[in-house]
Amino acid sequence: MLLIWTSILFPIVAAFAVAIGPTKSAKWTAFAGTLASLGALTIFAWNFPAWHNAEHFPKTTGPSWIPHAGITFSVGFDTVSLLLALLSAFLMPLCIVGSFSAITERTKEYYGWFLVLGSSIILAFAARDAILFYIGYEFTLVPMTLIIAIYGGTERRVAAVKMFLYTFLGSMFMLATLIYIGWEHRLAVGAWDFDIDTLTKTATRLPSSTQYWVFAAFMVGFAVKVPLFPLHTWLPLAHDQAPTAGSVILASAMLKLGTYGNYRFALPMAPAGGADLMSFVAVLAIIAIIYASLICWVQTDAKKLIAYSSVAHLGLCMLGLFALNPVGAEGAVFYMVNHGLSTGALFLCIGMFYERYHTKDTDVVGGLAKRMPVWASFMVLFTLASIGLPGLNGFVGEFLCLGGTFISEHDGQTGYPGVLGPWYAVVAGLGLIFAAMYLLILLGKLVWGPLREPHDDAAHATSAIRLPQDLCFREIAILTPLAVACIWLGFQPKPMLDAIAPCAERMLANYPKEVERYMSQSAGTPLASINGKTSESRGE
Amino acid sequence: MTQLTSIPQAIIAPELSWVGLALLLPLLAAVGCALCCALRVKGKAAAIITILALAASFGIIVKAYFAYTGPVQVPIFQWLSFQWGTGQFQSFTANCGMYIDTLTLYWMLFVTGLGTLISIYASEYMEGDCGAGYSRFFFGICIFLFSMSALVLGDNLIMLYLGWEGVGLASYLLIGYDYARPAAVAAGKKAFIMNRIGDLGLALGIFMLWANYGTVQYSELFAAMNKGGQTSVDWELSVIPFLLMLGAFGKSAQIPLFTWLPDAMEGPTPVSALIHAATMVTAGVYLIARMYPFFELHPQALATVAWVGGLTALLAATIGMAQYDIKRVFAYSTISQLGYMFLGLGVGTTFGACYHTLTHAFFKALLFLTAGAIMHGFAGQLDLRKLSGLRLLPGWRIVSWTMLVGCLWLSAFPYTAAFFSKDAILLKALTSVRADFRFLGWLGLFTAALTAYYTFRVWFRVCAGPLHFEPGAEGHHEPHDDTHDKHDTHGKPAPASAAKSTHAFHPHAPRWAINGVLLILALGALVVGIPGYNETFAHKDNWAQQMIAGSSAMEGAGLAEDHGAEVSEAHPTVLGMDAHTGLTVVGCTASIGGILVAWYLHLRSRKSADQLRAALLRRWWIRWVPICMENKWYVDEIYHACFRLPMWLGAQILSFGDRHFLDGVMVDGLAKLPIAVGKLFKPLYGGALQGYAATMAGGIALVVAWLSWVWLRGFN
Repeated sequence: MLLIWTSILFPIVAAFAVAIGPTKSAKWTAFAGTLASLGALTIFAWNFPAWHNAEHFPKTTGPSWIPHAGITFSVGFDTVSLLLALLSAFLMPLCIVGSFSAITERTKEYYGWFLVLGSSIILAFAARDAILFYIGYEFTLVPMTLIIAIYGGTERRVAAVKMFLYTFLGSMFMLATLIYIGWEHRLAVGAWDFDIDTLTKTATRLPSSTQYWVFAAFMVGFAVKVPLFPLHTWLPLAHDQAPTAGSVILASAMLKLGTYGNYRFALPMAPAGGADLMSFVAVLAIIAIIYASLICWVQTDAKKLIAYSSVAHLGLCMLGLFALNPVGAEGAVFYMVNHGLSTGALFLCIGMFYERYHTKDTDVVGGLAKRMPVWASFMVLFTLASIGLPGLNGFVGEFLCLGGTFISEHDGQTGYPGVLGPWYAVVAGLGLIFAAMYLLILLGKLVWGPLREPHDDAAHATSAIRLPQDLCFREIAILTPLAVACIWLGFQPKPMLDAIAPCAERMLANYPKEVERYMSQSAGTPLASINGKTSESRGE
Repeated sequence: MTQLTSIPQAIIAPELSWVGLALLLPLLAAVGCALCCALRVKGKAAAIITILALAASFGIIVKAYFAYTGPVQVPIFQWLSFQWGTGQFQSFTANCGMYIDTLTLYWMLFVTGLGTLISIYASEYMEGDCGAGYSRFFFGICIFLFSMSALVLGDNLIMLYLGWEGVGLASYLLIGYDYARPAAVAAGKKAFIMNRIGDLGLALGIFMLWANYGTVQYSELFAAMNKGGQTSVDWELSVIPFLLMLGAFGKSAQIPLFTWLPDAMEGPTPVSALIHAATMVTAGVYLIARMYPFFELHPQALATVAWVGGLTALLAATIGMAQYDIKRVFAYSTISQLGYMFLGLGVGTTFGACYHTLTHAFFKALLFLTAGAIMHGFAGQLDLRKLSGLRLLPGWRIVSWTMLVGCLWLSAFPYTAAFFSKDAILLKALTSVRADFRFLGWLGLFTAALTAYYTFRVWFRVCAGPLHFEPGAEGHHEPHDDTHDKHDTHGKPAPASAAKSTHAFHPHAPRWAINGVLLILALGALVVGIPGYNETFAHKDNWAQQMIAGSSAMEGAGLAEDHGAEVSEAHPTVLGMDAHTGLTVVGCTASIGGILVAWYLHLRSRKSADQLRAALLRRWWIRWVPICMENKWYVDEIYHACFRLPMWLGAQILSFGDRHFLDGVMVDGLAKLPIAVGKLFKPLYGGALQGYAATMAGGIALVVAWLSWVWLRGFN
């Protein structure tokens, strides 16, 4: 408890220190703050009793905040939120160090806001109170908007405003739904309470038709954040305009709030709605995979390409989550963490060459293996992780998400019926081919081939810090931990999978029943009759 | 319909975990090479590390071969496994472990053996790149050997998939080794992506097996097969062989996914020899042999394999006849020979297919390495019209004569190893009860004649005849730079070659490492014929047959046996003779006939080859044949027009639509709505009192209207 608050509040304290301290030491203060936050979280994770046993999740109650409304400061972790919080805390110091040479003006505000951002993300993952979660979730927008609007590219204002309004509008639906469930709780019990577990219990008792709408409203909120097709258009623009570190946190941690929201709120709170809308969300996810992959193929802007690839990858993650069986759910959670690692690393890599050439256009710059061999090695490694090469981290999540989707029709055997099945996996699997295509095209242009450099010495001269041709020690030190994590999790995914398993099963507790209900209910419609028939023949 | 098979059941033997060193050593060597890379080692340390590791892993496999008693399963560590219930379908287990049976050992023996030999060769071949890409090259080789070992040794299909993609990665990195050349980069990319298409089939096949059998472990899958639990075959089961097949076609360069392999020749020659001829491309054969029982889940599955194999063999041979680049000729011959292997698998002789894999591994590696020696010595020259009579050049005798060995073997010259292995395949096809298999057998014989022709076209041009050569354009004494051209594949003179040949050019002859390896390989090509001799002359059991029979790839499956085997097995005949004699006669005729034609056209009177071509081109009704053959039947162009172009256009439209319609019209349009509404009401807030009054009245009216509506509905 204390350690959790330490990891949440230390960056805030550091942010104040940055604000009142001298400009010169701002970056080091920020680094120390994030490092302390990571340290506190690591100690917490080290002593975490429930890694392998879901029964031991510490029951958390916090000090009351607004007693009349039942809002408390309660924080705590299960393994999924702990892993995601660790991911964010792990990336924070790397991003701070990565910004040393990129941010040379208004540094104090930058590092200050960045610390606030880190703190609010950890708060969102740690919150056990729905309103506290909402605060963390929403408050990430403020520093991120400022970081994009002040330190971004040429269209930064538009991008920042669009991101803010879009996601803000989405989360209004989420807030309304949370309050609605709290109100239902009050109707039933007589007092407000926003403890997530309590709300979950209340919400699952609601009639199916109500759960349908609860789920739909949650989905609107979280789908914007994930982002799910067709609500994704804010993302490429925001990524394109954000400074490197902003992109990293946006892709690696903030988007995960969307998938985490599905895991924590939408799916367990409204299982009836989840069962009803399972195939609908899955179809959107598959459209996202194919649609975004094809767009990636013709992007010439390296950063936009990675941004669209995030849309595709998270589409696969959502598909795994909505396969509604342990395989898909574990794969999805595993993928959340590993997408954060590999995509974050890719954004860092792209930022590093952007700092040298001041362009991200792959038609202008290319063949950098000759000029920057160390950078090229890292870039190739992270790209391969992102493609999902077995032996690296991306593969495990991808494979399990697809596998979960594939077996999602086999009820009676896996114990978790579903309505997706092989055809969904076939279409989503095309995404694997496309991923290889667009990422290798990116590599082919940027890393391999004859050297192409813009003759733009003026740009070089204006940047305050001159960087060496290839990566300097600081940059290698940023990328190495990420590379080690990518390889390690590829070869040893077992501990993490074991840790995720109980949470995934708990999330899915109500689903076998609800999906059965959905399938028997909709047996009349032509499409469902096909699904129903196959399931009956399987069951026998 | 599924018949009972009796695949030997594997026992769990953790004490054999030392075989795991065969996996670990290449991986450690890869780390060593990566360190050499990072520390920018100038010497040959990377090569030494690689050779030692690979030789040691070969030694381990040999030791395992002699210690072998029966199929074993060796667990190493838990990789990807979890369970959520106690039922059969409520767990997923894909651990890092090994499944060792005779098929495994058979494959590992030649993979690690050839891997070692080719790295010795490469240590000399790549020395021009010392300090530049040398360590990176050997890093790729180590990654390849690790992946290939994982593919073959793994005890489940996920390990196989790991290796499957890993060899694809190694192939990608090594084809694009010379990354400054756009052609090499494009070829690497193409190889990876076309393989990925097959990989998707493999992945889906694995999912389908898992969904229907509840496991992806070989031992459990085979046990399920032994039980013959499936009483009815539904579409899900019957689609399994076709999905696995797609993976095999991708990796082994069969129709429709074969176009990547010729392009892969952009890689350094040792890579072509090791990966794109001897080992990686046989992974598809391994997959089908390993999963052979499952190919009976659909009656037409093996027939499909046979047809694809037979047609690929023919198609690739016709293209190979019209290429001028030596490596390309050999590349197409590889595709063609792989086609034979698939034909063998399809008609039901896994033994023939696997034996041909072994013999092919030796003679094709040998051929590629001789081509590499020539390329190395003549500054990248590979055009067979610009090299002649190399056997007369001092220092090039070993290359010339070992190349002759390779060519004889490739053309299945009577009583060479390949003659036996190819005969095993064709015999099975020709004596099949199925008419279409017999047709494929004759097609295979015709292809054999074409093979003999195009193979000796190379040897008669390059090694025989008067001494004459033009060096290539590649100044490989200088460090590789951006400007050097891609190898000329269509025989147009490379621009720099004229200038180069005015200087006194001294081809530098290969030294001990290259020559030694060539000799060992030629010897190996002889040795792998021994099982064939034993079978034919001493009437002993063929060693390869024993190896295959002890594994999941055993015969006794297959279609011929399924449908009235007793009819044909009694007296199978070929052309009225006993099948063996008949095939020997026809096979010899095809092989020697092809060689004689090549001798006439390419040694006796070389002009006549050009005249023949000109004569063909003059006649409108036949001219399409040489044109199509020289242009590879336009398969690349057709794929481009049918798949890539429409998809690319679609992607452009989507990209435009995403920016300007979805974001521009929908999102921004919605965002403008409040502004528009605001504008609409703006006059009311001009400051005039009437405006406010009107607004107030309107507001009250709205509230009243809403309340009355709610009231009328009855508050529900």
